[in-house]
Amino acid sequence: MAGTSKGEVLLQLKNVTKSFGGLTAVDSINLEIRKGEIFSIIGPNGAGKTTVFNLITGIYQPTSGEIIFNGSSIKNLSPDRVLRRGIARTFQNIRLFNNMTIMENAMVGQHPFIPSDLFSVTFRLPNYRAAEKKAHNRALELLAFFGSELVMRKEEYAVNLAYAVRRRLEIVRALGSRPKLLLLDEPTAGMNDAETADAIKYIQRLRQEFDLTILLIEHKLQVTMGISDRIAVLDYGKKIAEGIPADIQHNDLVIEAYLGRKVEGA
Amino acid sequence: MSASPSHFQQKMQNPLKSLGIRKKIGDFLNNTKFLNRSLSWYVTGWRVGVFWGLIALFLPQLLNFSTNFLDQTYFAPNILLLDAILCGIYVMLALGLNIVVGYAGLLDLGYVAFFVIGSYTVAFATSGIIRNIHSQVVNIPALTFWEAIPLAALIAGFMGVLLGAPTLRLRGDYLAIVTLGFGEIVPIVIKDVPFFYGALGFQVPPAPVVNTPFGQVDFGNPLDFSAFYYLTLAVIILIVMFNILLRNSSIGRAWIAIREDELAASASGVNLVRIKLMAFGLGAAIGGIGGVFNGVMTSSISYDQFSFQVSISVLIMIVLGGIGSIPGVIVGAILLRFIDVYVISTISNMLQTNTALANPSNPFHFLVSFNLNTTKFLIFGLVLLLMIILRPQGIIPNKRRQLELKGVGLAPEELSVIGEIEREEEGSSAPPESVEGLGDI
Amino acid sequence: MFVLASTTSGIFIQTMVNGITLGAVYALVALGYTIVYGIVELINFAHGDVFMWSTAITLVVLNSMHVSTAVYGFALIGLLLLMIVIGAVVSGTLNVAIERLAYRPLRKAPRLAPLIAAIGVSFILENIAELWLGASGISYPDFFPNGGIVLGDVTIQYIDLVVVVLTVVLMYGLNVLVKSTKMGKAMRATAQDPEAAALMGVDINQTISFAFLVGGVLAGVAGVFYSLVIPVYAYNVGFELGLIAFTAAVLGGIGNITGAMAGGFLIGIIKALATNYLPNGSDLSDAVVFAILVLVLALRPSGLLGQQVPDKV
Ligand SMILES: Nc1ncnc2c1ncn2[C@@H]1O[C@H](COP(=O)(O)OP(=O)(O)OP(=O)(O)O)[C@@H](O)[C@H]1O
Ligand SMILES: [Mg+2]
Repeated sequence: MAGTSKGEVLLQLKNVTKSFGGLTAVDSINLEIRKGEIFSIIGPNGAGKTTVFNLITGIYQPTSGEIIFNGSSIKNLSPDRVLRRGIARTFQNIRLFNNMTIMENAMVGQHPFIPSDLFSVTFRLPNYRAAEKKAHNRALELLAFFGSELVMRKEEYAVNLAYAVRRRLEIVRALGSRPKLLLLDEPTAGMNDAETADAIKYIQRLRQEFDLTILLIEHKLQVTMGISDRIAVLDYGKKIAEGIPADIQHNDLVIEAYLGRKVEGA
Repeated sequence: MSASPSHFQQKMQNPLKSLGIRKKIGDFLNNTKFLNRSLSWYVTGWRVGVFWGLIALFLPQLLNFSTNFLDQTYFAPNILLLDAILCGIYVMLALGLNIVVGYAGLLDLGYVAFFVIGSYTVAFATSGIIRNIHSQVVNIPALTFWEAIPLAALIAGFMGVLLGAPTLRLRGDYLAIVTLGFGEIVPIVIKDVPFFYGALGFQVPPAPVVNTPFGQVDFGNPLDFSAFYYLTLAVIILIVMFNILLRNSSIGRAWIAIREDELAASASGVNLVRIKLMAFGLGAAIGGIGGVFNGVMTSSISYDQFSFQVSISVLIMIVLGGIGSIPGVIVGAILLRFIDVYVISTISNMLQTNTALANPSNPFHFLVSFNLNTTKFLIFGLVLLLMIILRPQGIIPNKRRQLELKGVGLAPEELSVIGEIEREEEGSSAPPESVEGLGDI
Repeated sequence: MFVLASTTSGIFIQTMVNGITLGAVYALVALGYTIVYGIVELINFAHGDVFMWSTAITLVVLNSMHVSTAVYGFALIGLLLLMIVIGAVVSGTLNVAIERLAYRPLRKAPRLAPLIAAIGVSFILENIAELWLGASGISYPDFFPNGGIVLGDVTIQYIDLVVVVLTVVLMYGLNVLVKSTKMGKAMRATAQDPEAAALMGVDINQTISFAFLVGGVLAGVAGVFYSLVIPVYAYNVGFELGLIAFTAAVLGGIGNITGAMAGGFLIGIIKALATNYLPNGSDLSDAVVFAILVLVLALRPSGLLGQQVPDKV
């Protein structure tokens, strides 16, 4: 791996805790994600991985702790603000706009770059028209990243797409905002081996072509061990280990956490 | 404007579905040729819109022409034109509320409030009369009718934003109840706060006379409403164009996105409060414009004209015509007004004046005392309920909305809560891991 | 419900008493909103009208029994209980039927749909009542004797006492029901996580029906209480009262049963004070209640006693 092991820190979680009533889903977690790396979070079901994503992206507010992105705090920002700072994401249980076309999905992803004030929109001012056109072209480019299928079907409703393709479209939507950091929540869940192998390839291509840092939640060890620069392991909301794949593979705590419970989709 | 006719066409092409009379009509339309085209071509697609558009455009002339063969006591052109204008005001309201309900998927149950605000704005602004805290008349510089229109839109829109800002951060249901309350409170405030002449009512100056290169046009002439009719029509066309521009824009896309999946929209950079507030404020502003037209048209306004019934009627128009569909809500508004003004009172009149029924030995004699007007709102309520349960997409559906209203493809949070479980039970997601230990409940 | 006291403090105390009595009615109606919202996350706009139907039916029954003046002793107790039972049965059945016919078919629909259905039902219920008994107010046979405990220039009417005491008893009963019975536990489980509750064998349909039944019964009892305190029937009483009670539920934290009770009494007191001390108070007190609704939603949407829980994603 192109291990940028001592790069500049892009995202930092300091002692982040999130409790729901009595349940502490995330328990004083510290993480440092460096520019350009692929960082994976693994852990058994219910370990708190998705909750970490939701905390980073402003969907949940941390109970305590601090989240710093690119040098400034993003704690308590709303999801759209977080996105505008440069963090985009996909969801574990794919959340496309089903009754919108593929093209429209890709366009919504670029919402921050298209004027949406009444004046520009109603009078179709030049800045608005230019932005729409540019967004349209960029949408085509992004769709083409995954080959010709999405481009050819661009006027179809997203609801008609096959599962693996839906995951791709969700990534296209996320890329629309020109993120610096991309969060992928189980991008290969529900995929067969061929599709998974394909996903591994495009995740690596994503980093290269879009100059991205990628934070990944993944259960399949073939994926995490193959492409991650570093891995953090969560269990019951706590970080129980962190390191390069080779170390994690042999960490006793990790083995215990995994053997102790069933792993979804592994 | 093609949804309904193409629907019709589909039915015609499917012989299994088109039984009996419908099939016969379909065959007739398909097989009869006029100028090389089948009749069905003329009654489908955009041509239907053109047809009704032409009728709307030449309505004053058609009504005048009708006096040649229709009885003027029942079909006085100017009175019918007045009905058409009032109907047009409801079309404005339906188009405005459609932005809120149809586009942004929010429920505004107090839309009448913005209608009130528009009506009173034109009253104060064009008469130049307000009252001070001691109920004394104070003269302020009067504005023209033309200036009052944007002013009313601004004030109504501003009130909408003021009301929406705290509420729209929350779940949509809260907006519904807050607007419901607002619709009740505004008339009460008007009644009880001296400033508004509340209980007394208010005379609104008529629309002005305008000198144009082609001569004087009197928009306020009570003996000939055609100028005002065309003004109403022009404003409706502007509102329709505005709606279309919005719908096909970044704003329109964001509205669909929040309807489909608010969370994903937010995570895609849509500022939820802003985009909802925009819909709510625009809807309010259009309601305000409708209020201006209502004010000058009814000429005397008072708080008790603005009841909850108005809000609900507009909502019914939208649901009846087709939530989110521009031709739909226009048709819905016209249809409901037509039923309200003509059908219901005609039936009532017929029952009350029928000589056979007047005979006490007639078993249906009791119908003589039956006043359908009192059952009107009951009928309207039933229409609303039955439509939303049986045909939520309305008469002329918006395709995308049609799917959504059946819950197709929406994020679980956007569905009414229990739907979520039933979907899971149907096996669309993974089985539960462990359920033991809590069986006590 | 008048303020007859003459001293400043007397007027204040009398106002408070009136507020608490009406607050009891608001609380009972607010419970219906809160219980139903807690389980199906639907604002049951028809709830105020379900309340109104209790006042309508008991009015008609009382008239058909030719009750027109106060009755005493066992007859009073019997009549009161009979009316309470009738009101409870009418509103309970009505509420369950509404859920069955109007809301259940829309469970897989977007949230907008059941809300629209609810407002449709409310409209229908109100208009049937108007058709049946007319649009003008009808005086309700006030069978409860006048008189009360006199403290200085303040009189605490017996009916006020009865309403407040019976309301507290009902609330205690509700607490027991929710905390200790099987159905109550099912309700709480469904409110917290319907998915998990269904997996653990809770019959969701039955639980939802039960919640509507409980809400309806409380509204029915409230209808009788209300009519004895303010003995005028009006077909649209449920609309305004529904809004007030909903505000009470929000004030206490929607979904929170204790909150709805507290919110009801609080709103009752605030409204009574506003009615008595504001110019045009009887109209403007509604505006005050509305202002409270908007303020609570703006500043503390989870209410005084509720706690905010984010949606699970
Ligand atoms: N909004 C919420 N309210 C209450 N509990 C929640 C909420 N969100 C998450 N939880 C709980 O927090 C814990 C962690 O959940 P999370 O979704 O983060 O796990 P995960 O590691 O992503 O698991 P999986 O591998 O199954 O996706 C779980 O017990 C979950 O039930
Ligand atoms: Mg997860």
